[in-house]
Amino acid sequence: MVLILSGFYCVMGIMPLFFGNTAYIMNILIMILIWAVVASCWDVIMGFAGIFSFGQVAFYVIGAYASAILSVSLGIPPVFTIIMAGVITGVIGVLVGLPCLKLAGPYVALVTFAVHMTLIPFLRGPLGRAIGSGGSQGILTIPPINLLGFAFSSEQLVPFFYLTLFLTIICTLILALIIKSYWGTAFLALKDSENFATSLGISAFKYKLMVFGITSFITGLFGALYAHYVGMLSTKMLSMDVFTILMIMMVIGGIGKYPGVVVGAVITVTINQLLAPLGMYRPLIMGAIVVVLVLFLRDGVIGLAQKFSPLQQKTG
Amino acid sequence: MVFEIIDVIISGLINGSVYALMAVGLTLVYGVTKAFNFAYGSFYNMGGYFAWMLLIPLGMIGGYFSVFFIAIPVFFVVGYLLEKILVSPLRKYDDWEMKVMMLTLGLSLFMDFGYQAVFGPRIKSLPGMIEGTLELGQVVLFRQDIVIFILSVGGMLCFGWLLNNTRTGMAVQAVAQNPAGAKIVGIPKDFIFAATFAISTIMVGFGGILLCQKNFVDPMGSTNIMIKAWVITAFGGMGSISGSLYAAFILGMLEAFVGWHFGMIYVQIATLTLLLVTLTIRPRGLMGRE
Amino acid sequence: MKKLKVFVVVLAVFMFMGPWAFAAETIKIGVPLAMTGAYAGSGDNYWKGIEMATNEINQSGGLLGKQIEIIRFDSQEFAPEVVMQGADYLCGKMKVTSVHAGWAGWGQDIRAYGKYDAPFFCDDGAMPSVDVYKSNPEKYYNTYFITDTGGDQANSMFDMLTALPYEYPNKKIVIINTDDAWGIEVGDTLSKRFKKIGWKVAKRETVPYGTNEWGPILTKIRRINPAIIHVEIPSSQEVITFFRQFIKQPTNSILSYGWSITPLEVLATMGKDADGIVGEMPAGMPAPIAPDAKAQAWVDKYMDTYKHTIPAGSWIAYTSVMAWADAVKAAGDEYDFKAVNKHLKEVGYDGLQGKIKFGENNTIHAQPAAPIVHYQVQNGQLVALYTDPPIKPYKDYKFQVPRWIK
Repeated sequence: MVLILSGFYCVMGIMPLFFGNTAYIMNILIMILIWAVVASCWDVIMGFAGIFSFGQVAFYVIGAYASAILSVSLGIPPVFTIIMAGVITGVIGVLVGLPCLKLAGPYVALVTFAVHMTLIPFLRGPLGRAIGSGGSQGILTIPPINLLGFAFSSEQLVPFFYLTLFLTIICTLILALIIKSYWGTAFLALKDSENFATSLGISAFKYKLMVFGITSFITGLFGALYAHYVGMLSTKMLSMDVFTILMIMMVIGGIGKYPGVVVGAVITVTINQLLAPLGMYRPLIMGAIVVVLVLFLRDGVIGLAQKFSPLQQKTG
Repeated sequence: MVFEIIDVIISGLINGSVYALMAVGLTLVYGVTKAFNFAYGSFYNMGGYFAWMLLIPLGMIGGYFSVFFIAIPVFFVVGYLLEKILVSPLRKYDDWEMKVMMLTLGLSLFMDFGYQAVFGPRIKSLPGMIEGTLELGQVVLFRQDIVIFILSVGGMLCFGWLLNNTRTGMAVQAVAQNPAGAKIVGIPKDFIFAATFAISTIMVGFGGILLCQKNFVDPMGSTNIMIKAWVITAFGGMGSISGSLYAAFILGMLEAFVGWHFGMIYVQIATLTLLLVTLTIRPRGLMGRE
Repeated sequence: MKKLKVFVVVLAVFMFMGPWAFAAETIKIGVPLAMTGAYAGSGDNYWKGIEMATNEINQSGGLLGKQIEIIRFDSQEFAPEVVMQGADYLCGKMKVTSVHAGWAGWGQDIRAYGKYDAPFFCDDGAMPSVDVYKSNPEKYYNTYFITDTGGDQANSMFDMLTALPYEYPNKKIVIINTDDAWGIEVGDTLSKRFKKIGWKVAKRETVPYGTNEWGPILTKIRRINPAIIHVEIPSSQEVITFFRQFIKQPTNSILSYGWSITPLEVLATMGKDADGIVGEMPAGMPAPIAPDAKAQAWVDKYMDTYKHTIPAGSWIAYTSVMAWADAVKAAGDEYDFKAVNKHLKEVGYDGLQGKIKFGENNTIHAQPAAPIVHYQVQNGQLVALYTDPPIKPYKDYKFQVPRWIK
């Protein structure tokens, strides 16, 4: 796992040397980094903690809006609002987690997806406008991140890329620690036999809530980063398109096969870009890919890689 | 003022019957097979496009009568095969519920954009099933709405009766309540699963035909239908047919009154807030059971 | 795992080496439109105009002796990063010489394409876009708005409604608009203008897209019995269901649909039932008979090719491609963006309805050569009553009092 991740980030790290001047590709690279983390968080929630959450895009958007509103309406420097956005999202994550983590399977999906859907009319409507969401038009003038007198934004892609890479690596380390630590073991135990693990004194609820909070924090942080990157936001972020693409990353990477989802993010963003000129055939093909992968590629590309190199099974 | 309130109540009833029609297939298939069908809205649109194909380019004689007549076997086969090919192979995995959700999400993307590729991105309109209005004093009703009301409420009640009073219906219920036990007593579980999926496809397809002739066939409309149906089933209790019926009318009335008193912009937020509150207090919905 | 790493690298290489092969000498133009999603219908309207213009240029020997090649991009539902991605793909990677976008967003598009120099033609029709332009006109100098904003169009609607040869029975108006920038802009402007002349805005309702059950609103409207009902929802389903439910028990009101009359499906579905509704089209082509033979020939050709009447956007999208081609001809080099932009701004373009000039904020404001056309549905088709500015009757077409007014 460590090898794949470090290899991935090393490759990513030298990319700007070749493509630093091509905005189109730098953009894709930055989005790959951002999506890789967001999808990883989802994978940790779903694949490891076994929580059937459908609220990942919602948390991402909450983070983005929180940071945008704080920096635009209250004039707080984005360096702080990004962290505040992470905290806000983490708290909301815990609040959402409290009622629904006691539920089984699909009911968690119901509650979390309900949060997702409530956000749309909330942000578009008069209530959202009152807190500064800009209604259906969204927020169009989100300031860039000023750090030590330097503005990180989409105007200068290479510095922003490295800022994202830096944050990505930190968050990836956190996620990897969760998976490798005592918690990860606890989760696997919980997944295998909840009753037995509970009898050993592993509190499912406490761990799940913690993971929910931490992943929400990271998701919100990256949502905020995204907001300051593109400089504008709207509720279109909550469309099913984004939701599905994030899900495809997990399906391709293999659920619970971290870091497969990182590879999934690379592949998905790439395919999505390559197919963009095809118009309506793009989602059609994406949909077909999901169906085929779920049916025939149980563990995503990681599963595939393991199949063809049986010796490597341990590291997956 | 009195007439105004009567008008609003009628709107609520129309909303409710439309929603009931949308939700019944989803709740049935979840109740029996525990598979959450994210492609539900696309099946709804399949009904609309099916009717459009038969009525407009093919100019089918017999109008809606023949459409429904042909629809039953076609939708049954489509639903049956989809379950056999796509859903049932997943049952052997322990996280199959998640896999089914993902697969059907992909399927819905495929179907929605398939419609766009085949029929174009613009909406299509179907000829009305019944034209004209019915005037009761100051209250004026569309005949169409009355038909939809009768069909959706009648259909649901009739379906509930079949489930409780026929051998097949009881077998379906047995599978829903205790799959393992059902297998022991010799109920062909796999067939029941596939048949339920097929029946729900017929129901949602019929709903699609009925509502698309009232409104339109919209290639992008399936997400909205899916979400509406989802809200109703979640609110009423996943898998409970009577719960869905109540939920549909409660939400329909709520929408009408909120829209009338506070404005249309508050309708969605009111509905979803009600849903969130209900799910927080009663996670299994109004009538949901373990 | 090694294989996996190799796989990742190969994938990365594949992704970057993709379509970099340069074809023969063509002039590339970028067309980012909504090809999927809720706005695909309007995207289709712009596409037809752009396609027609390109075909005409190519059939008559091309531009500067080269054929025009269209590069499409699906901007979906204008999520900011998708729009940005489109700009980087078309201008950055494919090096297109101009971008013809139609409705492209509400400001994110201006920012995304403002990074480049290729002329960017858009039909956002919303003040937020113009505000982004105004924040830095030098940077966004390559942006061209091909129609007026919602506010300007609403002013024209107001002028038309007050100019109608019709005695309003009372001074009450009901305004229904969508919850997006366009709907709110039009609703606000209309309600301001009507209040100023002593009217009462008896009900102002903002509705979300997808509203198809109008009972609760119509109940209130029936009690108010206003002289005008203005519906501003740029989507066909909602306005059709509104009309059907309205006509069930109509009030004595002029039904004004604004831009909402223009989606093709509105008339295709309702036909003669819609007789009496009034509405407008910015930078439109007056109908059923065009102003002169040249314009009529264009209309005939369009209808021959696409088998339907001219929807909003087609004509002005066609015209903006032609205007750009004209500027390129004058500049002599499609990549000389400075000269192309200068020509566009200073010389304008001799369009089918006369000389078109870009005005303040690089906008084709309503002008005689690209008028806002106000229509009434008569006998199932759009009939131009007025062109604006200046607001004047078009040919001999007369306003008819709607059949539901007693």
